Amino acid sequence: MKKLFIVLLTIFSVSLFAAENQYQFNSAQEEQLFRELTAELRCPKCQNQNIADSDAVVAKDLRDKVLELVQAGNDKDQVVDYMIDRYGYFVHYKPPVTPLTLLLWILPLGFVVLGFVFILLTQKKQAKKKAQWSEADEQKLAALIAKYKESA
Amino acid sequence: MKNKTLMLVPFIIFAVLCVFLLKGLFGNPKEIETGRLGQTMPAFNLPDLMDENKRWTDKDLLGDVYLLNVWGTWCPTCLIELPYLTKLRGQGVKIIGLYYEQNYDPDFGDSFDLAALQREVKGMLSRTGDPYQFNILDLNRTLALDLGVSGAPEHFLVDKNGKIILHHTGDINERVWRAKFAPKLLELK
Repeated sequence: MKKLFIVLLTIFSVSLFAAENQYQFNSAQEEQLFRELTAELRCPKCQNQNIADSDAVVAKDLRDKVLELVQAGNDKDQVVDYMIDRYGYFVHYKPPVTPLTLLLWILPLGFVVLGFVFILLTQKKQAKKKAQWSEADEQKLAALIAKYKESA
Repeated sequence: MKNKTLMLVPFIIFAVLCVFLLKGLFGNPKEIETGRLGQTMPAFNLPDLMDENKRWTDKDLLGDVYLLNVWGTWCPTCLIELPYLTKLRGQGVKIIGLYYEQNYDPDFGDSFDLAALQREVKGMLSRTGDPYQFNILDLNRTLALDLGVSGAPEHFLVDKNGKIILHHTGDINERVWRAKFAPKLLELK
């Protein structure tokens, strides 16, 4: 069992190694940028896989394109913009700040603030009610208690 | 009275949230936005699938409203929609095929046999009906990448000036055509 495990592990690590070495880079910087981009770009064909992980044809095409663009000296934003031009915002895992996505940040904060205001207001109201308790109210209450005791 | 209307607020928020979430639940996750929508066809210069000596460019396609169908013989959904597309051609819709070659990858030393592909395409189209005016061969999927194609079949409705009006992922059938394409086509005419 253990031997089998070791054999399997060897096979898989070899194939992984092969995949890693498929791309040739001119510098460590280039490789770093390529890894960042392929991790951040989403495969348009598969739901929720980045293009580094996906085996889809389009993911391979996009990887090749990223490499080509990186080697041509494009920076990160330029490559991301190139992809968004073709595949829309969907292709990038980091959503841009647009009025619609801003709502996702503001809305929860708004709910918290609103809840706080609500609590404050109700407490104030309650305090007001307590303050309005008068001598006449006190006498009325005493009369009611007396009446209850009589009937009991 | 004021209090009662105030009580309605959480209910309204809940209702709006429900609509929003239900929309997400029944939406089509494949229906992704396209970067190219509303823009003109990207420039290209690619060979004809059936005639090696003939080349097509984006300029050749101007002047007519047409449906660009990204397809391949390897794609089962494409096979299913071919008879319907053929029917559309009969109704006067101009359909141009963009042949999306899936398996060819020079990095892995694959060789490409055009004659074999031509035979395969001819065989398939003789069985299902041929909806295409002509087919453009996108061997390295460069035009497909510029169009934001993620697989096959995909469809682009393009107007006379080469502007992309519609991008549809998946097959075209009676329902899709009536709901999505027919109204746009009417607008263009």
